Amino acid sequence: MTAAVVARPALDRPVRAPLGRLLVSELRWILRRPRTIIAIVLLSLVPVLIGVGTVIAGNANAGPGGNGPGSLFTILIGNGFVLPVLSLTLLLAMLLPLLGAMSAADALAGESNHGTLRGLLIAPVSRARLLGVKAFGVGTVVFIATAAVALVGLVTGVILVGTDGLITLTGNTLSFGDALARIGLSVVWVTFQVWAVAAIALAVSAFTEHPLVVMAATLAGALVFAILTVIPQLDWMQPYLLTTGWTSLTDVLRDPMPWDGLIDSTLKAACYLLIGLSVAYARLSTKDG
Amino acid sequence: MSGKKAGLVAGAAGVLAGVVGLGVLAMPAGAGPAPVLPKVSAEELVQSVLTTKSMPALAGTVTATNNLGLPSVPGLGQASRFLGNGTTNTQVWTDGKGKGRISLPNSASEETIVYDGTTVWDWTSSNKTVHKETGGPDKAHPDKPSSGEVATDPAQAAKQVIALISKDSTVKVDGTATVAGRSAYEVVLAPKPTERTLLREVRIAVDAETKIPLQLSVLANGNAQPVGQIGFSKLEIGTQDPALFTFTPPADAKVVTGDAEKLAQKKPDAAKNLPQPKLVGTGWDTVLVEKLPAGLLGNGDKTAKTKGGQSFDPSKLLGQLGKRVSGPWGAGYQVSTAVGTALILDDGRVAVGAVPQQVLIDALASVK
Repeated sequence: MTAAVVARPALDRPVRAPLGRLLVSELRWILRRPRTIIAIVLLSLVPVLIGVGTVIAGNANAGPGGNGPGSLFTILIGNGFVLPVLSLTLLLAMLLPLLGAMSAADALAGESNHGTLRGLLIAPVSRARLLGVKAFGVGTVVFIATAAVALVGLVTGVILVGTDGLITLTGNTLSFGDALARIGLSVVWVTFQVWAVAAIALAVSAFTEHPLVVMAATLAGALVFAILTVIPQLDWMQPYLLTTGWTSLTDVLRDPMPWDGLIDSTLKAACYLLIGLSVAYARLSTKDG
Repeated sequence: MSGKKAGLVAGAAGVLAGVVGLGVLAMPAGAGPAPVLPKVSAEELVQSVLTTKSMPALAGTVTATNNLGLPSVPGLGQASRFLGNGTTNTQVWTDGKGKGRISLPNSASEETIVYDGTTVWDWTSSNKTVHKETGGPDKAHPDKPSSGEVATDPAQAAKQVIALISKDSTVKVDGTATVAGRSAYEVVLAPKPTERTLLREVRIAVDAETKIPLQLSVLANGNAQPVGQIGFSKLEIGTQDPALFTFTPPADAKVVTGDAEKLAQKKPDAAKNLPQPKLVGTGWDTVLVEKLPAGLLGNGDKTAKTKGGQSFDPSKLLGQLGKRVSGPWGAGYQVSTAVGTALILDDGRVAVGAVPQQVLIDALASVK
């Protein structure tokens, strides 16, 4: 008996739980919430809606060349490969950031609201680690949603149109593997962009205990960014706005692929991510347990 | 307590780094210090430009910045994005042997023009149409230097060009610059003080190594920024993938062969009936004067149609574009831009030039 007790390490300093276990437990916690699952399922229904809608409408209302996302619909007809990318483009504007904000709101403000954040704060876990686990959870939810949208979009496109004729905007035809690689790239890229939005939401989340405030603040921010983008007098601001780079997602449909816009927007998202996580960390580390 | 302080400091440092990063990203690609290049006279430079007969194989992005202040005209379609104020990016590729590729990306569509040596393919993704035309490399090569045929001897030609320009302008090599990451000489053409023009100078950046023009900027009086600029924002000289210069129409695309192009060219037949325009003056203050047939701008004529097919009243459009002016010389509309002025009088006389209004009035008086 005594021997067994002596064999245990002295508990004068906290035992570190393995990081993997923390991450898995956080994920299990998030994915057990019905709202997360429902949101992901609803989002992944969007490509089905677009695909069926466009095919039923057919060429009838394909107008002359426009510049909006509408002209992507034209090339979609007879081109299943565009559907995942088009769905992501449309969802990136509002619904995916909304999912990120929801997840971020649950991560800190929600826990605070339930009184469970206190338990996490007094646990022998560094605040940086806590924030890291939370940010990972949010990012994973966003990734699952994005991947689900792309996957459903791809399957819908293949069923409706078939695997031949994966035409780029540039007018040449891609192999199926190449098309898959590009869809994979857009999933990763979109996830990172939404994760940056979610990091800002996480910062708000650290300041409040009302998840609704986080959602409202993030949506308001997204709307303000959209408004700033259309005011010509404020166009000097555009390089600073995260949302202005989001149009470059359609670049994955060009061949040869222009990387500039995608890389630039990724670096911008990294800056937003750093700002969001830093503010969240500053707030968390000064919170009393 | 100190843990909290450390957290705040770390947070503040992170925010600062993020903001600085955003600032760095938002900054336009810096011009950097001017490269040091061997001195060269304007004549030698023009000569070496003329000796360069062909473009090397390259891939690049051509950026056109337009601050001309042109009023926006409805119904111009694709052309309007080049005419309106703003920046347009075009990607170009050439293999240096005549084949070429141009791509005009839009936010959600793209027009690609490929010249594969025998055929010009013009693909528009927004309506999935390919225009196919055999022959005619000119279309695929708008940026091919065309001045090469002026004289066979480049040295002679350079002298001619310089002599022609120096009648009204001063030409000099004004230092060096970095354009699209390449060292370039800046050639400056400035009007002589006697020229009555709105323009201040024209700057051409010539690549020091390959001697191809990299950038053309037009500067007007009273404006530090170029009113118009076209040039490479990215340039990569080297062998290009031959697959870029081939085009296979996608399976379900609509392919239109050359005939449609010919039909389109027939359209401006009406314009042939117009009298030939006349040039008044020389050099920078040249004014183009034209007498349009009476009634074209008149009240009852509604035959003018935009691309969309709606008819519009030309005089109403002029009222939107310009302001009503009148004087002893007549009455009409004046359209002013950063680089030029146009006078359209009610009696059909039209004068256009890179000059202030008074010069136009003088020119109109001279051709009465």
